[in-house]
Amino acid sequence: MNKGMVLEKSKLSYWLRQLRKEMSLIGPMRGENSDIVFKTVENIHEIVLDCPASIPSPKEFLFPQKEKMFRYSKDGVENLRGNKGRLIFGVRSCDISAITLLDRFYGGKFVDDYYMSRRNNTIFISIGCNNPDITCFCIGLGSGPFLSSGFDIQLSDLGDRYLVEIGSKHGLEIIKDFIHLFSRPKKLDYDDQYEAILSSQARFEKRINLENARQKILSGQVNDSFWEVVAQRCFECGGCVYECPLCTCFNVIDRPYSPTDGVRLRVWDTCLFKGFTKMAGNIWPAEKKIMRTKRWYFHKLIYYPEQFGKFGCVGCGRCTITCPGRIDMATIASKIDMGDRRRKGGGG
Amino acid sequence: MSRIAEIYLPSKAKVIDVIEMTPDSKLFMVMPEMPFKYKPGQFVMFSLWGVGEVPISIASTFGVQKHIELCVRRVGHVTSAIHRLKTGDDIGIRGPFGNAFPITNARGKDTLFVAGGVGIAPLRYLINEVIKNKKDFRRIELIYGSRNPSEILFMDDINSWQKKGINVVLTVDRKDKDWRGNTGIVTEHLNKAKVSFKDAHAFICGPSVMIKAVMQDISQLGMYEENIFTTLESHMKCGVGKCGHCYADGKYICIDGPVFSYREIRQYNLNCTP
Ligand SMILES: Cc1cc2nc3c(=O)[nH]c(=O)nc-3n(C[C@H](O)[C@H](O)[C@H](O)COP(=O)(O)OP(=O)(O)OC[C@H]3O[C@@H](n4cnc5c(N)ncnc54)[C@H](O)[C@@H]3O)c2cc1C
Ligand code: SF4
Ligand code: SF4
Ligand code: FES
Repeated sequence: MNKGMVLEKSKLSYWLRQLRKEMSLIGPMRGENSDIVFKTVENIHEIVLDCPASIPSPKEFLFPQKEKMFRYSKDGVENLRGNKGRLIFGVRSCDISAITLLDRFYGGKFVDDYYMSRRNNTIFISIGCNNPDITCFCIGLGSGPFLSSGFDIQLSDLGDRYLVEIGSKHGLEIIKDFIHLFSRPKKLDYDDQYEAILSSQARFEKRINLENARQKILSGQVNDSFWEVVAQRCFECGGCVYECPLCTCFNVIDRPYSPTDGVRLRVWDTCLFKGFTKMAGNIWPAEKKIMRTKRWYFHKLIYYPEQFGKFGCVGCGRCTITCPGRIDMATIASKIDMGDRRRKGGGG
Repeated sequence: MSRIAEIYLPSKAKVIDVIEMTPDSKLFMVMPEMPFKYKPGQFVMFSLWGVGEVPISIASTFGVQKHIELCVRRVGHVTSAIHRLKTGDDIGIRGPFGNAFPITNARGKDTLFVAGGVGIAPLRYLINEVIKNKKDFRRIELIYGSRNPSEILFMDDINSWQKKGINVVLTVDRKDKDWRGNTGIVTEHLNKAKVSFKDAHAFICGPSVMIKAVMQDISQLGMYEENIFTTLESHMKCGVGKCGHCYADGKYICIDGPVFSYREIRQYNLNCTP
């Protein structure tokens, strides 16, 4: 697909206003603590672009932190699956890359109907990143700062205008009724986008090589004494998991309203918690913290590539912002990768 | 748009009978509103409204009767609530889930079943299936250990299996005054099996400590690791490879298992003695 159009910046808010008549519009805005959060847009001018990463990631719109699955009563079960149409504006490339992978995870032999029905009714407008954050490392992973596929609509900020790329049928849907707002792109527009991409790529401060880290783990160069130190620094707060656009674990709980009536919910959970794998009879398969820490890293660095051919990390940098123990993906992967070199250089 | 299957929605089922088997296990006869086909080794998610959902192996044999049988040991929150169920109560059922015991390759060979405690339940369908096609298999033997004589489950089945020519070795940890049979744990009786270990397939089910010991011992007796099968347990919340609870060493016990060969267990380092 990937057809290009050009939209003058002055026309963006008109376009969004029109789209909002048909579906709810969600975008990045300043939260109470000046964090960036995605929420329903009341005033279009409150959308903030060129801002730090949102906390949490927009995965919550497809896989909410807490979701009612169904209601049970004497009359049977009623699915409470939500699927109202939504337009999510201002999503980052890395988050779109994560969603592309989530589509495969929640699909497969058993399709997660809660995720998929939301996904089928959600359209994303993503924006290529001209100014990566200091925590960003999508650049080594092909998950940003600009994408060549996987998006519905991708905007590239060219100063006074956006290059608008259409990457899916969903994307085409929200353009075709407003075609009068857009113009055909010229060679100059593509040249400017090329420049924007180059200049963004040059700005990355973090260059993390997850592949090197993976190779070192696979070849047995990372021993348990390394993971022991990592585990000691883990507070088991679960922050990385809740914010990571690719962490998917959940728990299921029943909330009874009366003896015969209630709802079953699913809520985010994390493999870093000790009780996550607990079994009856006081059996704790991942009793030691090191087992859980390794599990998180191995899932993202070893098993994700085995299963999907991609890392379970898109380099969004959220865990770097969040982790109070400084054992985030970027830090640990580069420690694994650089370990040898630093030791050779002396000091340690 | 095509309708998406509702994989988390239990369908209604009715408890049509409850049989007390031992002080802590009961056999539930459950009639699902929507009947389903299943294979030996598969499990269902058993739901109690307001309490929760747990994985339980199917202990009945498909095609024999319309209802399914589930043997539940009372060990915690949900299983205690299940034990309070009475005939006529409504429950929820999802499934069947998981792979099945592979028996195609066992044809033409000796077959050894080793069960401990309620571990006999998931093997029951498989044993029936092998006996039904007895002429395709060589020697068929069962070694079954229980805590004490009153806890031997499915005695009727065992008698009928013996009549059909399978060699059964029963053993108990603690004998009572009437018990004339074997005592001790199953591993002490593995050498009683007259199967030719090099050319046999084994199917093992029971507490995880027992499983591990038996797998080790029979592989030492000469059986190939890829011919030794067991079913693993883990904390499960979805049964469909999404919640992550059963995930271990790159495998989802719920969809890649619960049946694994000893070879796979060693290769993936799957935790069978947590
Ligand atoms: C594939 C499979 C087949 C099984 N078949 C049988 C069977 O035929 N008969 C039988 O009696 N038991 C079986 N079990 C074990 C049974 O599921 C657990 O005993 C049960 O989940 C314990 O729940 P609880 O609420 O009573 O225990 P609690 O200790 O109160 O557990 C609380 C929660 O932890 C989880 N949990 C705890 N222990 C286990 C466990 N061993 N396995 C899975 N989840 C657990 C459950 O989600 C449960 O809701 C099977 C388990 C698996 C994985
Ligand atoms: S990781 Fe890449 S895509 Fe994500 S915000 Fe940073 S620069 Fe943009
Ligand atoms: S592991 Fe960290 S950097 Fe990677 S995607 Fe998850 S939160 Fe972002
Ligand atoms: S039980 Fe949920 S992933 Fe296996």
